[in-house]
Amino acid sequence: MSLTAPEFSLPSTAGAPLALTDLHADGPALLLFVAEECPTSTLALRRLSRAGVRVVAVFEDPLDVAARVARRTGFDGLVLSEPAPYDVSRAYSLISLPTAVLVDRAGHETGRVVGWDAEALQSLLSVPVTDEPPLRKPGCAAKNTYDPETLRALDGAGFDELEEMFERGWTDGLPVIPPTGERVQAMLAGHDGDELLGEMAPALARVTLERVAACAVLAGCRPEYFPVVVAAVQAVLEPSFNVGGQAVTTQPCGQIVIVNGPVRDAIGLNGSSGALGPGWRANMTIGRALRLVISLTGGGFPGRLDRSTLGNPGKIGLCFAEDEEVSPWEPLHVSRGYDASQSVVTVFGADAPLSVSDHRSTEPLELAQVLGEAAGATWSPNWWPLGGTSLFAICPEHARSFHEWGWDKERVRSEMFAAVRRPAGTLRWGETTPLVQRASDDSLVDKWDRPEDIALVVAGGEAGRYSAVFGPCLGMDTQPISKEVPWST
Amino acid sequence: MEYVSPFDERRRVAEPLAERPVSLEGTSVALLDINKRRGDEFLDRIEELLLGRGASTSRITKEIFSKPAAPEIIRRIADRGDLAVEGLAD
Repeated sequence: MSLTAPEFSLPSTAGAPLALTDLHADGPALLLFVAEECPTSTLALRRLSRAGVRVVAVFEDPLDVAARVARRTGFDGLVLSEPAPYDVSRAYSLISLPTAVLVDRAGHETGRVVGWDAEALQSLLSVPVTDEPPLRKPGCAAKNTYDPETLRALDGAGFDELEEMFERGWTDGLPVIPPTGERVQAMLAGHDGDELLGEMAPALARVTLERVAACAVLAGCRPEYFPVVVAAVQAVLEPSFNVGGQAVTTQPCGQIVIVNGPVRDAIGLNGSSGALGPGWRANMTIGRALRLVISLTGGGFPGRLDRSTLGNPGKIGLCFAEDEEVSPWEPLHVSRGYDASQSVVTVFGADAPLSVSDHRSTEPLELAQVLGEAAGATWSPNWWPLGGTSLFAICPEHARSFHEWGWDKERVRSEMFAAVRRPAGTLRWGETTPLVQRASDDSLVDKWDRPEDIALVVAGGEAGRYSAVFGPCLGMDTQPISKEVPWST
Repeated sequence: MEYVSPFDERRRVAEPLAERPVSLEGTSVALLDINKRRGDEFLDRIEELLLGRGASTSRITKEIFSKPAAPEIIRRIADRGDLAVEGLAD
């Protein structure tokens, strides 16, 4: 049984308001309910424009916005604008956009398709729609279901500020804490929100302290974490870090934040068991805050300007402390020229961690070689030399063994460097380097250009001989950057 | 509810597109190689096609593909060419 489609009269780009009766007077009309910020809506506008059917786009947006989107998508049908509080959407019981509603000449709804479903649309319209992928794509929430103004008008029934964050796109896909003015002020703790930290590519956005604070709130940081977040943002803004390149590359690389110095204890940052996560709020939220600055403020949002082929879970955020108290070696920040009493953040552009188990080595060269050979597989197995940094999280048991065998950090680096080399002839297949291509079969090729490309940090639980190596982020000409935490909490 | 936006909300004004040439005949085309693998092969073929249509060409290479072109590179393209073609990706 067909239902009578609810009547309406809405502003149109044709000049005068149009009523439903005007639309189906000459034959069936396909009402396509859409919204500007919904990618599935724009997909539907583009595809249905080419399908040769009479489509009337009903935007849950102002008319000028609707007209702009129609132009941008090449949509050449009638364009109507439905303002808040979206009575028409409600009358049509819309939940998701796009929703296509077919209305026959008599004004009856004869079918509808929710979201983008080429096969269902083809069946509804009896014309070929497209065979171009994607053939199916879920829609976005219709504004009548969440628009705050509308819901306020309805006494706030159903308003959910956590859901609103998703609708605004202020998220990495996980729930966030809404950045209210009060929360952002608490994060800033009296610091000037207008202070400019720099411009971030690809959006070339002005990164102010207030925007960083908004991201820190979204990520779930406590205010005492904020100076660590600020230091991390300052680090990635250094031109030699090339955050813009990392933000948009097809590579999986993320930004790894390592913290040294007294701030670790002050804020409860974990460098021990499970240091790489999950489980510790400071670790999880500081890394996430930096990633939100890069993906939201900086514009490197996954699937949009961030074109990472696979991504990696570390891109949600990865921050950990070096366990300086357990480490037998000089801490990372001291190796990089800081005093042990300073709190310092060091950021690396790097791939996901690869765990390296070694419970059997009985002498230091053996263990160094096991760790180094694992690094040999990163980026691509035959890509020698790597041309970038290998960051190792050395577990306490491995570090202690090296120490007991009398190897300091420099010795581990130099021996590992010397131990990991292969004849060029064994590397000349698949993706390999110009150097390997040029070299004679027997020439030995190092995995790294120099021992300094091996970075060692001690972290992890007391039990277990599992270290990890992070693959590099190549082609970015990126350098690890350290910044002192700008104020204490 | 009012929230503090994490975004730089400044409105960007789109740069107007340059006028399209009616013909390539007699034009000078700058070919920008971003320094990524096999970009030169792509530009070699483009250059061949352009030369066949009466254009002259000049080649310019970025230092590294993952960073913006230096202002000097952009200025050289603007000085030398009526048109520019950039070879992207692998």
